[in-house]
Amino acid sequence: MISLLRIELYKIFKRPRTYISFGIVTAITFIIQLAMLSGGRDFIAFGMQGVSEQFDIQGHILNGYLVTYIILQSLLIHIPLLVALVAGDALAGEANLGVLRLLLTKPIARSRLVLVKFISSVIYTILLIVWLAIVALFLSLLLFGPGDMINMKSDAFVLILKNDIMWRYVAAFGFATLAMTTIAALSLFLSAFADNSIGPIMTTMGMVVVLTILSNLELPLFNIIKPYLFTTHMIGWKGFFDDPVPYAAIGRSAMVLVGYTVGFVTATILYFNKKDIKS
Amino acid sequence: MRKITSIVAALLLFAGNVFAVDEATQLFYTLRTKVLTVKDYTADIRLKIDVTYMRIPQLKGKLFFKSPDKMRLERNGGLSILPKKNINMTLSNLIPTGQVTVIDMGKVVRNGKTLRLLKVVPEDELSNIVLTKVWIDEANTLALRTETTTHNDGTVIMDLEFGKYIPYALPDKVTIFMDLKDYKLPKGVTMDYNDVPDAAAAAKAQKGKNQKGTIQISYLKYDINTGLSDAVFSKPDNG
Amino acid sequence: MEPIIETRGLAKSFKSFKAVDNLSFTIRHGDVYGFLGQNGAGKSTTMRMLLGLIFPDSGQIFINGQEFDNSKRHLLKNIGAIIERPDMYGYLSGWDNLKIFAALSDKHIKPARLHEVIEMVGLKGRENDKVKAYSQGMKQRLGIAIATVHQPDLLILDEPTNGLDPQGIAEMRALILSLSKDHGKTILISSHLLYEIEHVATRMIVLNKGKKIVEGPVSELLNPDETLIEIECAPDEGLKSKIMQSGWGGHLQVCKAGAFTMKMNVNRTPDFNKWMVENGIRVQEIRSKHSLEAYFLSLTTETTATK
Repeated sequence: MISLLRIELYKIFKRPRTYISFGIVTAITFIIQLAMLSGGRDFIAFGMQGVSEQFDIQGHILNGYLVTYIILQSLLIHIPLLVALVAGDALAGEANLGVLRLLLTKPIARSRLVLVKFISSVIYTILLIVWLAIVALFLSLLLFGPGDMINMKSDAFVLILKNDIMWRYVAAFGFATLAMTTIAALSLFLSAFADNSIGPIMTTMGMVVVLTILSNLELPLFNIIKPYLFTTHMIGWKGFFDDPVPYAAIGRSAMVLVGYTVGFVTATILYFNKKDIKS
Repeated sequence: MRKITSIVAALLLFAGNVFAVDEATQLFYTLRTKVLTVKDYTADIRLKIDVTYMRIPQLKGKLFFKSPDKMRLERNGGLSILPKKNINMTLSNLIPTGQVTVIDMGKVVRNGKTLRLLKVVPEDELSNIVLTKVWIDEANTLALRTETTTHNDGTVIMDLEFGKYIPYALPDKVTIFMDLKDYKLPKGVTMDYNDVPDAAAAAKAQKGKNQKGTIQISYLKYDINTGLSDAVFSKPDNG
Repeated sequence: MEPIIETRGLAKSFKSFKAVDNLSFTIRHGDVYGFLGQNGAGKSTTMRMLLGLIFPDSGQIFINGQEFDNSKRHLLKNIGAIIERPDMYGYLSGWDNLKIFAALSDKHIKPARLHEVIEMVGLKGRENDKVKAYSQGMKQRLGIAIATVHQPDLLILDEPTNGLDPQGIAEMRALILSLSKDHGKTILISSHLLYEIEHVATRMIVLNKGKKIVEGPVSELLNPDETLIEIECAPDEGLKSKIMQSGWGGHLQVCKAGAFTMKMNVNRTPDFNKWMVENGIRVQEIRSKHSLEAYFLSLTTETTATK
């Protein structure tokens, strides 16, 4: 299993496409950081209108922690795409290359192959999130400095003291990894059905976009299904920036995400174990 | 004769009342003078903001004050959150300045203490303050509660507790109750994580409307009249 | 000794299309076993079933006497394969590809062995180039290297000369012969270029529409008695009845107005030619096919005719 995993990771990280994701994360992060450097104050002033009417908030508001939060918020849609680029390619890409049939003539159990592809996608996801943490959090801290963080929710204004933030980011990045693992599992599942990687990547993105819209629509009809959509729970990382931290809700969201992940991987194994390789 | 006696009695009563008004005005001016003897101070404070829509932990910091209305909270690089200038947290800012009309409302018992309640109306029509009610501990010449009605900022109530700094009329603890406007940002912008079911969230939002906010400030240590320069109050960059 | 491969009643359909129908055959150790059939005859599907790529609807596969199914993929340990195109990771070097597939073979393979196969397939000096820069022939040779690096007993080569130029085809043929003769491999080979099989196979099976038409040693199937003689002549309405009424009628395979095919020993052609002249059949051309291709063609034509 370990040797199989090593091979899988070797293939992933020998592929130029893999590094595009890291490049995109870096580029988006830089762009947001530049935008914040030039027009961040107006942005903050706009966001704080509701509070600043009654309270005088002074100090280093636009600090590295806040900029990181803004970056994470903006990357909500992009990171799933980058995860899908690798996970959606895991089976379908190899089918497209024609390598899958050669791979499956080897004495490897298909379920092991699926598991290894899932684990390697998760490792890639973790590295991507760690990279995001480095460029978003550490670079923002370097550029903007630390400070107390404000978090503007639709119905609340939260202030987190600067010495109380770092653990929240560690937890948030951990939760984001869990959420992205669900995306990886979904992409892998879709990948098992396709013979080229564009299909599963686009379908993953389509599902994330549509379900995210459903998760955010304030309509009674959607309120019934919202708790069951994984996109509702993917933003659970934000819970760590609330006061008090809604641990029960975050735990529930984590369980839903784990449930979806296990479901997708199991379904992939079941389907792939019976799939005829005709490509 | 009976008629004359009645008139004299009425006059005496009136005169007594006039003397009473003077006494109350005097009391107010004495209080105000005492308050205004503090030209500036630096205090180590603990600030607790209890507002429905604000989730802020207790803040520690140094509060700088310079008469009449300069105030700044320094939190060693942290953010400073204070109510807007016109609802300042100092007593000097919540009692009218200049010529005032003082109406004595008599003695009231509050928290087991007998206090003198005065109504103070500023004569300056441009003042933001419409009316201030002051509950005064006459023995120590200390205001233990003020209720200030303003033109622009609703009614602000301030409870004061005194201890070590009675000679300067500086409180150890102040609790401010203020009216608050509603706060709301579109969910499409904030993309909130719904940690509670939607029905409960709606109830919570409803409950949050038209609430009063409380700001509690504990003064641990004062450095009084050290001659703070105005530079201390120049606003730090808002970014 | 158990046959290296044995199938019993193998069947596979894709929706309503029967790709393989009740197919039973046996490959013995040391055979170079030719798989012949037109496109869609079921060759690739059968090979994929032997490799666990496609699952049969019914029937059994035995590898070295052990029944094979998806839960017994370890039985593939001693099989190497090229299925259709030798597709690999284009962004990796030939060496990396070889190393990866060697590692997947569940055998400990030393680097010296990798060098050995690279040399055997003639890729020495190019092994560090990216595969996307390889010609089709080089890819095919790398495919052979991958299929043989773990020293399997059986090689399954599905159309290994596909897409190669004449020189590449000749090289591949030499390589397959060498693998059989010099390295003692059992080989299952299919090709649509049937003369390839004629040159390399010792036994063969002919498939048509998923069914076995014939199976046996190539030497027996290439019996001179089975030569096809194709004759073109001037159009003659009574041609078929003339032949059927003569003593040659039993040899007639196909007959049209101006052409017909006879199956007989090639040595009897002069006698038959003499009979045609004597019976007023104006012969324009006589062609004989001794090759396996002719045999294959005859069988498939026969099947088509009977339909």
